[in-house]
This record gives sequence, C-alpha cells and structure tokens, in this order.
Amino acid sequence: MTVPAPADLSARMAAFVAHLRASHGFRVGPGEATAALQALDAVDLGQPREVRDALRAVLTARREEVPVFDAAFDTFFRLPGAPPPPRLPPLLPRTDAPLPPPPPARQGEADKERRVPGQSQAEGVKEETGTSTARPTPERETEGEPESLPQLLTARLSPNAGTGGRVDAPGDDLPELLRAAGTLVRAVELGRARRLTPQTRGPRLDARRTLRAAARTAGDPIRLRWLGRPRRAPRFLLVLDGSRSMGQSAALLLRFAFALHLRARRVEVYAFSTGLTRLTPLLRAAGPGEALRLPDLGDAWGGGTRIGENLLRLAREERARVNRDTVVLILSDGLDTGDPEVLSRALRDLAARAGLLVWLSPLAALSGYQPIQRAVRAALPHLDAFLPAGGTGDLAALGRRLRGKS
Amino acid sequence: MTQPPPPSDLRAAFRARGYVAGDALVTALRLVVALGKPLLLEGPAGVGKTEAAKTLAGALGTRLIRLQCYEGLDAQAALYEWNYARQLLHLRAAEVGGRAVSDADLYGPQFLMQRPLLEAIRQEVPPVLLIDEVDRADDAFEAFLLELLAEWQVTVPELGTLTATARPHVLLTSNRARELSDALRRRCLYLWVDYPTQAQELEIVRARLPGIQETLAAQVTRAVHALRELPLGKPPGVAETLDWAAALVALHRDWLDAEALDLTLGAVLKLHEDQRLARPTLTRLAAP
Repeated sequence: MTVPAPADLSARMAAFVAHLRASHGFRVGPGEATAALQALDAVDLGQPREVRDALRAVLTARREEVPVFDAAFDTFFRLPGAPPPPRLPPLLPRTDAPLPPPPPARQGEADKERRVPGQSQAEGVKEETGTSTARPTPERETEGEPESLPQLLTARLSPNAGTGGRVDAPGDDLPELLRAAGTLVRAVELGRARRLTPQTRGPRLDARRTLRAAARTAGDPIRLRWLGRPRRAPRFLLVLDGSRSMGQSAALLLRFAFALHLRARRVEVYAFSTGLTRLTPLLRAAGPGEALRLPDLGDAWGGGTRIGENLLRLAREERARVNRDTVVLILSDGLDTGDPEVLSRALRDLAARAGLLVWLSPLAALSGYQPIQRAVRAALPHLDAFLPAGGTGDLAALGRRLRGKS
Repeated sequence: MTQPPPPSDLRAAFRARGYVAGDALVTALRLVVALGKPLLLEGPAGVGKTEAAKTLAGALGTRLIRLQCYEGLDAQAALYEWNYARQLLHLRAAEVGGRAVSDADLYGPQFLMQRPLLEAIRQEVPPVLLIDEVDRADDAFEAFLLELLAEWQVTVPELGTLTATARPHVLLTSNRARELSDALRRRCLYLWVDYPTQAQELEIVRARLPGIQETLAAQVTRAVHALRELPLGKPPGVAETLDWAAALVALHRDWLDAEALDLTLGAVLKLHEDQRLARPTLTRLAAP
C-alpha cells in the first residue's frame, strides 16, 4: 500500500465510506468518514493491516459487518496485480435504489402464479441478480420434488415449495394482524421490572422526593413519596417453521411475525426448515406498508423439517437472551421425522429459561385434530400452551387465550 | 489537565502486565486514546474484555473506574446520590438551633455521594472508565448514557451542569444479552473480540503462569479448543483455561490424565450437562 497525499486520502476515504453505505448497507456517513481520517492520523499508513484494523474499528458497529468490511477493504484498496478479491456476502439489500415495487396483490392472479412455480421463481431471480451476488442459480429453481408426505398433510403447496428462492408473503391482512399483535402484546403479563420509578404507591420510599417535600415543612417528612416497579415489557422470540408441509400457513405466520415486530419493541424472528436463519434484520429492512418480500432464505425455507435440531441450535444461540421476560412462540405443524428426544431437550432448555413457551399449530385449527404427531407429543409436557393458528381469527384470539397463562 | 503520555508500544505494555493483546485490540485501544471516542467491545464471555480495560488503566498509569451494569440500574445509582440521612439530620439541627436552611446549604458537596460516572468526569487525570456488561442495563439507561458519552457533561438539578475536567477513556463491554441500539453503536468504536487462536492462548497461559510445564500448557489449550467446538451451553473462556491450568499446577500435575481430569473438570466446565457431553472428547485427549 503506497502512502497517498492528504487530499487524495480524504477523497478516497469519502469514496470508501460511500461504497460501504451504498453497496453493503452500512450506516455510515460524513461523521464516520471524518472519524476514519482522524483514525488514519493515529496509525502507521505504511502498515496495511494496522490501517484496516483502525478503519474497521471506526466503520463497523456490529459483528455481522466485520467480514463484509474486511472483504470490501481488500477490494477497494487492492494493490495492482494482487489476487482477485473474494466474493462478498450480502449484508443487506442495496440501499441506493428503492426495491422494485411489489406486484399488485390481486388474489386471483397470485393463485395462478402459484400453479407455475418454476416460471414465477425464475422471474424473481432475474429481477434480483443485479443487486446481490449470492442468489441461487436457475438450475435450483426447477419444479419441487413430488410431494410424498403423510396423509394428515392437508397443507397446500407453498409458492416456494422445495425451490429456495425469494420468499413472498403477499396479503392485505396487515391491519388485522397488527390488531392481533397488539392484543397479544397487551395480554402478556410478566410481572414487575426491577427498575424503580416514582409512583403513587410502591414498596420503597423515594427519599429524594420525600426530602424535597420535607424541606418545605422544616424537615418534617409529612408527605411521603414512593418508588414502585413498572410492568415488565415482554420480549418475543418467534420461531417459524418454513418447511414445505406448512404451505400457505407459513406465509401467514411470517406476516404475523412482521406485524408483531411492528407492534413490540423487542422481537426476534427465526425461520427454520432444514436449517435455521435469523430473520430479524430482514424484517427490520422491510417497509411497513408493502407486501412482505424476503430474499432467498436458503435451507430455512421450503425444505424438509428438522424441528428438534434447529430448536436445539436456537436454544444454544439465544441462550443468553432468553430470560423470564421472553415469550417464545413456536409456529409449526409438528410434522417432523427427527428424533423427539432432541426436541424434548431443546424445549426443556427453553422452558426453563423463558417466561412463556407457546406452540402454535395450523393443524390444530382443523376439526377433529388430535396431537398425535411424535414431535407434538414430545413437546406437550414442556409447553405453557398449545394453540391453533389456522387463520387470522386464531391469531386475533391468541391474546385472549394466553391471558392468565404467564 | 495533565495527562500521562500513552506508552509508545501499547502491546509491550500490555504484555508486561500479562495480557497478550491481538493486533486489532491494540489498534482500537490506541484510537480510544487518540480520538477520545468510546470503544464497544463485544464478544463471548471470558475472552478478556473487562481485563483489557483494567490493563489499559495500568498501561496508561491512570485510575480504572468501573460501572457494573445490571437490570434496573438507573442514572441515580450510576451518577450521584444525596446522603438523605445526613441531610435530614442537618435540617433537624438547623431547626433546633433556630437557623434558616438554604438550598445551597442542603445541597452542599458534603452531602453529595459520587457514583462511578460522576467520579469519572471529575478526575484531573483522564481515568479509564469501564462500563461493564452494558447489555444488562435497560433501554432507558442506555439512552441516558448516550447524552453523557456525547457531551461529557451531566446535569445535577441542585448543582447545575457539571462538565468533564478531563475526558475519560471509555470502554464498554457487552455479551450480547440484548441488542444494543444503533445510536449507542454509532457513538462508539467497535471491536468484536473472539476466542484467541490456539497459539495465542498457549502464549497467554505461558504469560500468566510462568512456571507451567510446557506439555501441560499445550494439552490444556488443545483440550479447551476441542471443547469450544462442542455444542456446549457455556463454552469455556480464557479465564476458565487459566483457572484450569492453575488448578492442575496447584495439584502438581505435569500432564493431563484421566485422574487429573476428574479432579479439575469443574474448573473448566460449569454445567453438569456440559460435563457429560464433553467427557468422551476429554478422555480421548487426556494421556492414557
């Protein structure tokens, strides 16, 4: 790395910061560019690694950004003749141009498209290839494998069944789902927080306010003021089964997760199918007024089900964050071929830590449903509630059904 | 404002204090001193985040002021409190003596109890301020920190605005128990501290336990790295590696065998189910 002149350096830095922002979704601007230049003053510009360490400290803000930054730095400040840069993993969709507008949500047309998944998927991919490097190849986007699931499966074929690709969850039920999410948030009562705030009644005397009042009565604390504990705000952890058998229910539950994310402050959403993926950053990036569209979720969507293994992985990953403020909602039909013992272990772990552990099943909404699936049987002893989730009506009733459980 | 000059070679200063620091950490800490920005250190528990702050204070020859965060921590407990009992006595005494009490009397410095944050901004020499496990505090406290970290001043209603005499070197640590706000992240430099590589960890063991047998040090670090590969509930941190090695040294073991393993497993794995899960791996690694 040659040491550039100062004017050249600041122009290069501004360009690099703009590149991180536009191509990789980093939230960096002129303030960070200035700080980056100041940081360069403090390091040896002849040492590329030191420069990279310094700029990384200034320009990244979370762990996920670190590998993206390193790759972007190597590409941007590459020496002539150096080996080609690695392909960059996408952090967020490009931010310099708005996403293509969602297709008009006409149900009839949407249904028609669903019957020819190959065609609609291929189009979806074509649209996306310009904006990201890690899209599935069209070869993967062929027809799904023939369905061979147990007869209990009344699940309809998902638009993404077995194909990977982008996840669309169109629907005009957002206001309804927002209401359902609001009811749920209000219904969960977890008890009191540890923070003390001034309240009219409470367990602790507020010495500061009492004394201030006492100063007016020559030191006699006539009017006592109190500190109380406010209600604890719940944190939601949603685990969404995106496997093929879930069909359209998965799209509905994904929209519900999105609505809940808009209604509550702390919501984590994961999707699992064959693998497990954290959806929270993708939901945050989605616009609230638009039909929900997510990029390719890989093996977290449209494949087979591995409930136990994925929940065990989740229980370990989120271990530090699941506490008695956490309401864990598992949204799955429970059709799983995995070992029920693994599932049982994962749920035991989650139940021991979480405030509330609830399983929502689309199948439970069918009349005459019996919880006989192996996974559901293994799960039941650990759950606070096992509830149906067949449509928006069930989701709207969720708050009422959970009241008093916590 | 007098400030001791930072050591020209921070890495060597850390090394002299038994802390083997990686390149990225040394650079980030240099920037903390040079830019006056806080540094957010994130990473799994037990990788030496808190220790880095302590060592920095030692290397800079300044005080370490530590604020341990917990759920329910509020600005009062972090900044200052009035000594209410003494204030009431003062009011009583004044009343008995027939003296009038002014606000300035009642809220004089003799009644002010400084908490870590106020103490940090009232130092003549910039101290190292460690805000430990900031993810444990709640959102309201995080929002309060934003103002302090941006302005370096606090308002005590009875005293007015107090501005920092010397801007402290601030390190925040987080174990990711809660997602921190973007606003806080943007105000900080950022460093993800991961577990050290096997070679680095061996160096740490040698630096902290100079008398250890080479075979034992190598075996312990190898075993700890194998353990971190397993899906454990509580993977061992560097602190556990050092505890384990120290326990084996205290038992006069020169290498790791099945018996030594039985005696000291609790120093490295703190959950019963983790111990059960890891036993086959450890037995394989221990000498016959």
